[in-house]
Amino acid sequence: MFEIHLSGRQSRVDWGMILAIFGLMIIGVAFIYSAKPPSETTAWYNQFPVRQSMWYLMGAAAAVGICLIDYHSLARWSMVAYWMAILLLIAVLLPHVGAYRLGAWRWIDLGFFQLQPSEFAKLAFIFIQAHFLSRPTEELRQPTVFVKAVGLTVLPFLLILKEPDLGSALVLLPVGLVMTYVAGVPTRFLRRLVSAAGVLVALLLVDILFAPPAWQIKLEDYQRRRLWVYFNRDFAADKSTEAERQKARLQERNDSWNVKQALISVGSGGFWGKGWRQGQQIALGYLPPIVAHNDFIFSVIAEEKGFLGSVLVLSLYTVVLFTGIRIAGQARDRLGKLLAVGVVTLLFSHVFINIGMNIRLMPVTGIPLPLLSYGGSSVLCSLIAAGILQNVYLYRRNY
Amino acid sequence: MLIFDQLRKNDRQLQVLAISVLSGLGLLLLGLWYVQVLSAKRYQTSQINQSFRTVRIPAIRGKIFDANGVALAENRPCYNVNLYLDELRPYFRSAYSNNLSWVMRQLTRTNSKARLTHNQRIELGKLTRYQVVSNLVYRVSSLLHQPVPLQDTKFLEHYDQRLFIPMPVLTNLNPTQIALFAEQSADLPGFDLEVQPVRVYPHHAAAGHLLGHLQRDDSAADEDVFFNYRMPDFRGVVGIEGAFDEQLRGRNGVKSVLVDSLGYRQSENVWAPAEAGQSVYLTIDIAIQQAAEKALHSAPVPYAGPVRGAVVVMDPRNGDLIAMASNPAYDPNDFAVRLTQERAEAAKLDDPILRPQINRAMQENYAPGSIFKIVVGLAGLEAGTLDPNEVYHSPGFYVIARGHKPIDDLAGPGDFNFRRALVKSSNSYFIHEGLKLGVDRIAEMGKRFHFGERTGILPRQEAPGILPTREWREKNLGGAWFDGNTANLSIGQEIDVTPLQVAVMISAVANGGTVYWPRLVARTEPQDPFSADQAVKFPAGRVHGELGISKNSLNAVRGAMLADVEDAEGTGTRAFVPGMRICAKTGTAQIQQGRKTIGHTTWIASFAPFDNARYVVVVMIEDGTSGGATSAPVAQQVYLALQKRESQPKPTKPESLVKN
Repeated sequence: MFEIHLSGRQSRVDWGMILAIFGLMIIGVAFIYSAKPPSETTAWYNQFPVRQSMWYLMGAAAAVGICLIDYHSLARWSMVAYWMAILLLIAVLLPHVGAYRLGAWRWIDLGFFQLQPSEFAKLAFIFIQAHFLSRPTEELRQPTVFVKAVGLTVLPFLLILKEPDLGSALVLLPVGLVMTYVAGVPTRFLRRLVSAAGVLVALLLVDILFAPPAWQIKLEDYQRRRLWVYFNRDFAADKSTEAERQKARLQERNDSWNVKQALISVGSGGFWGKGWRQGQQIALGYLPPIVAHNDFIFSVIAEEKGFLGSVLVLSLYTVVLFTGIRIAGQARDRLGKLLAVGVVTLLFSHVFINIGMNIRLMPVTGIPLPLLSYGGSSVLCSLIAAGILQNVYLYRRNY
Repeated sequence: MLIFDQLRKNDRQLQVLAISVLSGLGLLLLGLWYVQVLSAKRYQTSQINQSFRTVRIPAIRGKIFDANGVALAENRPCYNVNLYLDELRPYFRSAYSNNLSWVMRQLTRTNSKARLTHNQRIELGKLTRYQVVSNLVYRVSSLLHQPVPLQDTKFLEHYDQRLFIPMPVLTNLNPTQIALFAEQSADLPGFDLEVQPVRVYPHHAAAGHLLGHLQRDDSAADEDVFFNYRMPDFRGVVGIEGAFDEQLRGRNGVKSVLVDSLGYRQSENVWAPAEAGQSVYLTIDIAIQQAAEKALHSAPVPYAGPVRGAVVVMDPRNGDLIAMASNPAYDPNDFAVRLTQERAEAAKLDDPILRPQINRAMQENYAPGSIFKIVVGLAGLEAGTLDPNEVYHSPGFYVIARGHKPIDDLAGPGDFNFRRALVKSSNSYFIHEGLKLGVDRIAEMGKRFHFGERTGILPRQEAPGILPTREWREKNLGGAWFDGNTANLSIGQEIDVTPLQVAVMISAVANGGTVYWPRLVARTEPQDPFSADQAVKFPAGRVHGELGISKNSLNAVRGAMLADVEDAEGTGTRAFVPGMRICAKTGTAQIQQGRKTIGHTTWIASFAPFDNARYVVVVMIEDGTSGGATSAPVAQQVYLALQKRESQPKPTKPESLVKN
């Protein structure tokens, strides 16, 4: 085993992961085609599957580009990238720069492309965190370093929260946490941080679910209602009139619609599924067309390909994630290891939250499923993230 | 595991990460297993529930035929114009975007940043759809030259609740409109012509009471399946339509409509086709029925307005009903669509005196008057208390006991033997004989004819009549039976019968003593010859009982009845038809209110021919002058029609050809 490791004939890239990613891309195009069948009124190059394929190509190119430069050189630019990302996150909140869609300021309209800065901020954050934490272990024991690491996490977190995009913001937390943990920050710091955060979240939930309206923390209305849906809370207040109650019921129906329909899609797929493009939930519009191809693409796959399809998707992600962990283990230094760990945690969080949301394990948040959901920013970032993993793998022996 | 082997043994952090990721993925796998494998059925069901609507399709109702295969009740196609809203979706969309841009232009004129709220957009959508539909409906209405009202509330209700079925726009098109629509509706999107069967009674009021009528029925009482929508269906309420509703109705079918999330129809699938109902074949001859109705209609009654009465024509050899008329009648067609208030008033359906909904031939009790003397006479002859040749001298009235009011006798004073007493209908003679017999023996003879019992011809539409006995009087009127009561019974008062019961009685007298169950329905037969349903035959000549009366007694009565028509002094001479040898007994029963006579129920109960009876004709007319004057001419008309039918060659009845 040792000999093989050192032999020069070992492949320079990890083909297993590349195959898995390729498989995911094929599935992605196939089911975006199913969720968004070609329409006659749109030019062929504007059809969803075609656009997605173009993003795949661009993403693959970006990943290859990333691999051309040693991650050490890349990491030197991490400070620039981080602050660029922060600037973009601020810019998106400005009225004439950001684009307002679906109730949030998440995009910058570049004409051909709706840039979603939060996606790139995640990558920049991984870089800066890895760069910051790859210092001697003694320094990591200092509380100030730990506080600075937390600060690096909180800044983009708050900005993304302001958009509002709770899901994307929340994803930063496990990424930051796991990276500090793997870097070797004393666990007592982490324990304190996690328990404090836990108490805070518990208080927040109690407040949202049970406190009288005047006492409730100012949360976006839709966020509160999504949590209500998740916890099955009655929308109508206790002392409401029949008309109010009816309105609340309608609201409840509207708000829980996506979750309910996604669950019906996934469940009705059964073991074998109904077959590609045979899903009724899309054909009949029960699964809303505006989310079917992006946030809820998994329920399309699950309905049409059943439990088998779900297992296939999970397996492909497992290959990617565990290859990433292995690459982290094989990295030649802490920077490489932390980059790999950050990327793995990011991808895993997306997969877990998105699929969990489809089967009601998690509340609804606008988190895309890496490589499968339609969307340029998400695809680009996922492929760049995969490129980072390959980069760490490629340059593992360059002492 | 492959990856764990490759991790350095002392790299605890990565191991923790690997285990966390693995358990996270494992959790997802378990969740997916639970949702997609363990709960798959549940979600599949809820998917079906939310995307399928079931529609109940009524079956085509069976027809009703007379004895010769003439249709008395059938179905005619009714053409309706329906609008399929799902086909209008492109029009909704383009109209909406036009409206929206117009609204935005208006709004931005004053405020460039104005936007529509979500609810305003929904409202605009609603208005747009109504606008599109009402424009289209207006075009159809001008095409068909008929104003079509389209209420916005009705439209919205349909849109909200029944989007999966087409919206009815115009019903019951006339032939011109059908032609216009077929020619020119090509450029009208979404409209379609629908054919629905509508019950039609080609002979209108003829046999209306027997046929009964339908009523709109949208109840789900008989079904255990839930339907999202029930297409209009009808239920028979009275008459044959009511009694044979189950057979006539057939079995409904089920259609499922696949709908999208907005409720628009996507596709349809008939799960179970409707099975047409069975046809019912009656024993009635519509020609005789119509003759009887016509005769009844023109009866010489001493009052203005429609004649109130009934005619029963029966075959005494087996109890088959040939005709059963009741006047005033109603046209069952009036009920077929939906009885409007005006039509109900025009038909005087609720008039308390005319009561056209009552079938007077079987649904109403009448005192038989003198025709009951046949029963009293037979009882006396059988008991031996009556000697047909013994002569009784009548003073022209009858006094039961000293101080009692004398009972009138229109036969006048004179000497009467049995024959003359029956021909002249002498009250005194029969009171004399009745008192000799006593009530028990008269009632016993009445029981043999099954008076006081329903004949069971149609359920819930028959009066049983009253055959009084001592016990009955004690129980119901709370008094003892006096001779006065016997005297009244002897001349057919204090007893209630229906014309149908009288027809059964006369049949028994005519056929030599067999009391038949009257028969109205000969058989039911599936419309579809390949149906799994079997034809059901109702055998003719079901015997209810035998009179057990000697030939001599019957002959004495029959002879007297013949003389009633053929002797000059008979009361039934106006029923005479040359060559028919009609035997009859007339009756004029007094209807009393307190001590005052307020009217007469006038009867004739007859059969013919004398020696080989084939017909029994019973006529009852309310408030007539007398049986002989009012009812006998009606019977004569009926016999003339029967005679005419005999002289005509019987239609060689290829029933299978006549059927459809």
